[in-house]
Amino acid sequence: MAHLAALRAENFRCFDRLACEFGPGTTAFIGDNAQGKTSVLEAVCVLLRLQSPRTTTLTELCRFGQDHGFGLSGDLAPAAASLRPPTGPESGPDADATVPEPPCTLKFVWHQGQRRLQAAGQDALGPSRYLARSAVLVWMGNDDLSLIRGPGEGRRRYLDFLGTQAFPSYRPALLAYDKALRSRNRLLKDDRPDARQIAAYTAPLIEHGTTLTQLRHHLVTELKPWAAAAHCEISENPAESLEISYQGSATTDFAAALAASHPEETRRRLTLVGPHRDDVPLVLNNRPAAAFASEGQQRTLALALKLAQARLLHSLHGRPPILLLDDIFGELDPRRRNALLRALPPGSQQLITTTHLEWASSGFQPEYLYRVHQGTLTPAH
Amino acid sequence: MPKADYPPEIQRLILHLKRLQGVGPRSAERMAVALLTGKSGVAMELARALEAAAQGVVHCQICGFFQSTAATCPLCESPERDQTIVCVVEQPTDVIPLERTGAYHGLYHVLGGRLSPLDNIHPENLRISQLERRLASGTVREIILAVGSDVEGEATAHYLGDMLAHRPTGAAPVTVSRLAQGLPAGGGLDHADDLTLHRALSGRRLV
Repeated sequence: MAHLAALRAENFRCFDRLACEFGPGTTAFIGDNAQGKTSVLEAVCVLLRLQSPRTTTLTELCRFGQDHGFGLSGDLAPAAASLRPPTGPESGPDADATVPEPPCTLKFVWHQGQRRLQAAGQDALGPSRYLARSAVLVWMGNDDLSLIRGPGEGRRRYLDFLGTQAFPSYRPALLAYDKALRSRNRLLKDDRPDARQIAAYTAPLIEHGTTLTQLRHHLVTELKPWAAAAHCEISENPAESLEISYQGSATTDFAAALAASHPEETRRRLTLVGPHRDDVPLVLNNRPAAAFASEGQQRTLALALKLAQARLLHSLHGRPPILLLDDIFGELDPRRRNALLRALPPGSQQLITTTHLEWASSGFQPEYLYRVHQGTLTPAH
Repeated sequence: MPKADYPPEIQRLILHLKRLQGVGPRSAERMAVALLTGKSGVAMELARALEAAAQGVVHCQICGFFQSTAATCPLCESPERDQTIVCVVEQPTDVIPLERTGAYHGLYHVLGGRLSPLDNIHPENLRISQLERRLASGTVREIILAVGSDVEGEATAHYLGDMLAHRPTGAAPVTVSRLAQGLPAGGGLDHADDLTLHRALSGRRLV
């Protein structure tokens, strides 16, 4: 699918009702803070990827005082012509796809704790089949700085968000591992932990954890050249070198590390090794970026990591992902802003929120422009 | 002016139908109205069938499958079945598809669920001690674990496998196996997901 042509929402965040159309290029949402700009992008993210970058509990997405449910729907427009990956491997799975895809309407209804998914008229779909009909996307926001400064959890979420869109086997492995982990931790917290039950959950934990670790290793290897290149472009300084790697919490194999951590995990009543404790160290010019990079360098690094996501998805799927850019341009200095605008994948659909357009150069012309004010959206052309 | 609504009898019926799994408020309403406005006698027939089923069906004390109070267990009491082999399943309904294959002639043991600490389901909530007691007589020589292949099913199989491997000394030995996982019948490799293919590879057999 090439782009999201329309979005409709009901009872979502500050919106009673919302309906808007997008072109295949750039759509901008302008408004003051706390008017609902980010919620529009969040609605797109939940509709297309079934998750929000802002919260993990869907009840929070309901309009205040209307927490029985919300509804989202959107139309994915067919690709006009397939776009080639940024660099020319002929092997991209869809690189030669010229058969036009039919348009597809996605519906996401959340009602009293139950999720109901519909795609192209097929009702009550499971999440995998729904996601297979959806589009891939990359979210860029001001919070991205926490990818560099924050704890490992943010970097794991970054990998998982990309991984579920990159490899079909990633999401099942992640969900199964998470289930095994939560079950095992619950058993460890029992007043009298049952060793046989814990061991029973150790088996699926190792199986799915090993798969997940392999997938993440593979993902970081694929991501590495894209991140280094994007970093070079935005910093405009080829002397700066970015190194990313995948660091497992288990130094030996997973089963052995888990067995070795047994006394400590019994004491702390928590599974202490595994992919849920792994990290992606970011090293800039041979020094850890969190401690040694300047504020400006960290911003550049955050942008580079997100651009790398977009470029990897582009090369894997043969077309650029949808980009959700939440209030980032106003915060950047003109040099970085222009470098970023140049570095965004060409031909990608871009949904942008901003408080003002003063930063925009004369070359920046959104196809659609909306003003967002107190939970209402008005076209402004 | 008070608003008109269904009489309390119909409202109560709707309420009960709504409690059924997969029935929402609208379908409960449609079912209730259809029952009461359809051919005369349909509602009463259903009521009698429900009453008869609720009173006349219990679970077999030994295997846990459905059993009519008027008859003995069709599985445990059948002389043609191989008494030395027991297939362990999660739910009574799992027995039916296995029977349809026609490939199995042994006995069954219904656990009544699977281990799920997140839902507070522990070994004592399942029919695991009953299984141990069944084995104590020494007749059973083989156990087939036919539980699901999701995380909870895997854990349940591991739990039972570990328990059966560590039976008290002197107990008659039993062979324990799990259902194989692999390629769907009649499908090519491209139809299998990664995990299925992974398990099909590790569970491959000699030709």
